[in-house]
Amino acid sequence: MGIDSRKTYFDSFGVDRSLVRRVIERGLSRGGDYCDVFFQHRVSRVVGLEDGEVNRTYASVDLGAGIRVLAGDSTGYAYSEDLSEKALISVASTAASIADSGPRQGPVSLKTVKIDNTYPVDVPWCDVGLEEKLPLVEQVEKRARRRDERIIKVSVNLADETSRIMIATSEGRLFEDDRPMVLIGARCVARHGDKTETGGQSASARDGLGFLSPETLERVACEAADRTTMLFEAVDAPPGEYPVVLAAGVSGILLHEAIGHGMEADFNRKGISIYADRIGKRIAPEHVTIVDDGTCERLRGSINIDDEGTAGQRTVLVENGILRSYLHDRISATHFGLDSTGSGRRQSFRYPPIPRMRNTYMLAGPHDAEEIIRSVKKGLYAEVFSNGQVHIGAGDFTFYLKHGRLIENGKLTHLVKDANLTGSGPKVLEHVDMVADDLAMYSGAGMCGKDGQRVPVGFGLPTVRVGSISVGGRGS
Amino acid sequence: MSQLVDQAARVVEIARRGGAQHARATAFRSTDSGVEWRDGKTDRMQESVSMGIGLTLFVDGRYSSNSTSDLRPDALEDFVSENIAATRLLAEDPHRRLPDPTRYENRFTADLEIFDEAGARDFDAIRRRDTAARLEQAVRSAPGAEKLVSVTTACSSSVSHSAKVSSNGMRGSRQSTVFFQSAVASVRDAEGRKPRGFWADACRHVKGLLPEEQIGRRASGRALVKLGAAPVESGNYPCIIENVVADRLLGWLIAPLYGSALQQNCSFFEDLLGKKFASGALTVVDKPHLTGGLASRTYDGEGMSTAERTIFDRGVVGCFLLNTYYASKLGMQPTSGSTTNVIFPGRGRSFDELLSEMGKGILITDFSGGNSNPATGDFSVGIGGQWIEKGKTQRALSEMNLSGNHLDFWNKLLETGDDPHPFSAMRTPSLRFDKVQFSGI
Repeated sequence: MGIDSRKTYFDSFGVDRSLVRRVIERGLSRGGDYCDVFFQHRVSRVVGLEDGEVNRTYASVDLGAGIRVLAGDSTGYAYSEDLSEKALISVASTAASIADSGPRQGPVSLKTVKIDNTYPVDVPWCDVGLEEKLPLVEQVEKRARRRDERIIKVSVNLADETSRIMIATSEGRLFEDDRPMVLIGARCVARHGDKTETGGQSASARDGLGFLSPETLERVACEAADRTTMLFEAVDAPPGEYPVVLAAGVSGILLHEAIGHGMEADFNRKGISIYADRIGKRIAPEHVTIVDDGTCERLRGSINIDDEGTAGQRTVLVENGILRSYLHDRISATHFGLDSTGSGRRQSFRYPPIPRMRNTYMLAGPHDAEEIIRSVKKGLYAEVFSNGQVHIGAGDFTFYLKHGRLIENGKLTHLVKDANLTGSGPKVLEHVDMVADDLAMYSGAGMCGKDGQRVPVGFGLPTVRVGSISVGGRGS
Repeated sequence: MSQLVDQAARVVEIARRGGAQHARATAFRSTDSGVEWRDGKTDRMQESVSMGIGLTLFVDGRYSSNSTSDLRPDALEDFVSENIAATRLLAEDPHRRLPDPTRYENRFTADLEIFDEAGARDFDAIRRRDTAARLEQAVRSAPGAEKLVSVTTACSSSVSHSAKVSSNGMRGSRQSTVFFQSAVASVRDAEGRKPRGFWADACRHVKGLLPEEQIGRRASGRALVKLGAAPVESGNYPCIIENVVADRLLGWLIAPLYGSALQQNCSFFEDLLGKKFASGALTVVDKPHLTGGLASRTYDGEGMSTAERTIFDRGVVGCFLLNTYYASKLGMQPTSGSTTNVIFPGRGRSFDELLSEMGKGILITDFSGGNSNPATGDFSVGIGGQWIEKGKTQRALSEMNLSGNHLDFWNKLLETGDDPHPFSAMRTPSLRFDKVQFSGI
């Protein structure tokens, strides 16, 4: 069931160049403008620990090919898990039916495009035995338990994945990529008197076994424990609108929700994003520069190539407060007469690619983090977030604070937890009035959902101050 | 169908031959076809056949659960043998076992009416495309069309077959269809904001889909009422949660009833089985045999025969949701570790009566983001909706949060409406609450 990385990509999928060319030709048999075939073999395994024992594993294998035909802005899409010639040709015929004119010629040859591999691994995950993973999982559990005697439950999951992909296009190009991913996550439950709290931490990267260093395991274990036991001292945040200082790192989810999705060019092509027609205009103060970057070393959202074969790259969305670029896939780039930004991503061969974020972050600014906290008389210092959502057209977004601290007279005071934050994306960006010099990237398991497709993403932020955000506290 | 049963049985046999004492396999095949239509033309057309195998292994007292879509014969053999070998490396777990075979008995035999084969045949690519085009026309013909920026509609159907076989005698198969249509209307206000209105139906029979005019009016109406939305002052206000969105809060309330949450001490319901925690207006029943229900089934994921059960009975916790594993760990009997169709059996008053009874308060028509802590019951979530006075809509609300603790919040439930949302497995009616906490400006 594993992926043999010594095999050629064609051999892995049991197809050859001539068959792939015929499949593309069938895709264009009704006159589409463009056709691509996306082969994928993905093998993942999770090992799980609960109640002190590594006593469960979940393996999953996905093998298949998706065939896409474009006719103008319109997409015909079909996929098959059966990679026989008969099945692939039949699927290509289905995708072809988006167009309705005479046949066009397929590619005469398929030339492999060389790409730089930015996430090589010494040993592919399929060759790493379970016996090598078990002690690592046990180690995290033991370390978390030792951290605080109030911890009554620890669960740990170690997930690894290899996705081998091959993309062939009607322009005669062929792309190959092996994408590793690893994720270690720990969750704790602690009891103190009659109170129970739960918290967790994760670490994830496009990497191999080497990522699970003693330091990484120690950090995940201790932070999972601390993020649980610290909650016993939490008070309820006061509800209402007040200044919020976002801590460096995971608060980058603010950019993802408040602006990132609005930059995805499919929403702008359709004219339904609040940022449609705003290119070249000021949308944030001078000290705000935001990029979406597929080239950050081994981060979850990094890609050698996107799922259309465009090279991974760094895209400046907002430069010194001016909106510079959307995130484009092939369709939107063609629509706007621009180059793709390498943002065409998909969950798997079962889905067509759409514009998505990779790793989204704000560049460091001129201020100092402590100076920013000192500047707030009464507000919230938001440290750890879990999830968020945005209404792309209206621009209002939410993100969920797991915990943070109140700021009173320029000092961090009481811990607060479990509050939803909401605001208008464009307004919040306008009110990012201080940016510190301490950019940090989130190293946990970022995941983004759109149109029913989930893809791994990263984000980061320096410490920033936002004039005001509505905080869903339960206090008075 | 018999092919899938044979396939599942064959995989169980391979697992047994390879050294698993017990195994359960599920084989499935589904056809999904859909069209997305935007501003006068097809945006995306999709059609696919999907298949795969799920395999749960019990090897020398150890457990794993696995799935594959690589059904090439050699690959399938490798998949089974490699997973048996991997399972052997784990720690033993005495609580892992197949359900007691008596739990496979007394399976419901009447027709659930969840398979509309003829409907699926008739609802072909041309009809789907024409329906999607008519849905757009319906949005554009509704009042307020001059404010439209864009209209996207979708129409799809799915035909699924699956079979489940276990080594201790469970054998079952089922087939079902789902038909779906939706419309999204984007409108523009003076400041350039573009709120969206969305409406979708999903049902088992093609004839259950609403007429296109109704979908169009609803999508358009739901967008237009959001124009000019703004927050009001933070405070405690009475509220009504509209039927189509109430499942979000109910889902958070039900999550801590699962065995995994309870056994891991991560549930505020831990000591509340059989005890009253909520208002007497909260009665919720899990009804697996509902005719035409989107989650209707005669056996659950483990193959256990399904039966109706009361989840909440006039504010009392009626049952936990326990699969075989967590039931064993908790020293309790399994009750099935999943919900099916979730029903509010009460017959309440109409939505308009709820509004007029509330008089002044907030009508929640949208939830955004948010989360709920299953250990403590604290939750906080973004909301959008309407400010109501004298039972009438005054203005649109956005950028606000609803926050509370489930153990307090559900005591504020005053009544449930007569309008269960039929296009969801959770058929929530509109819910009216006494004063609850909102944050705004």
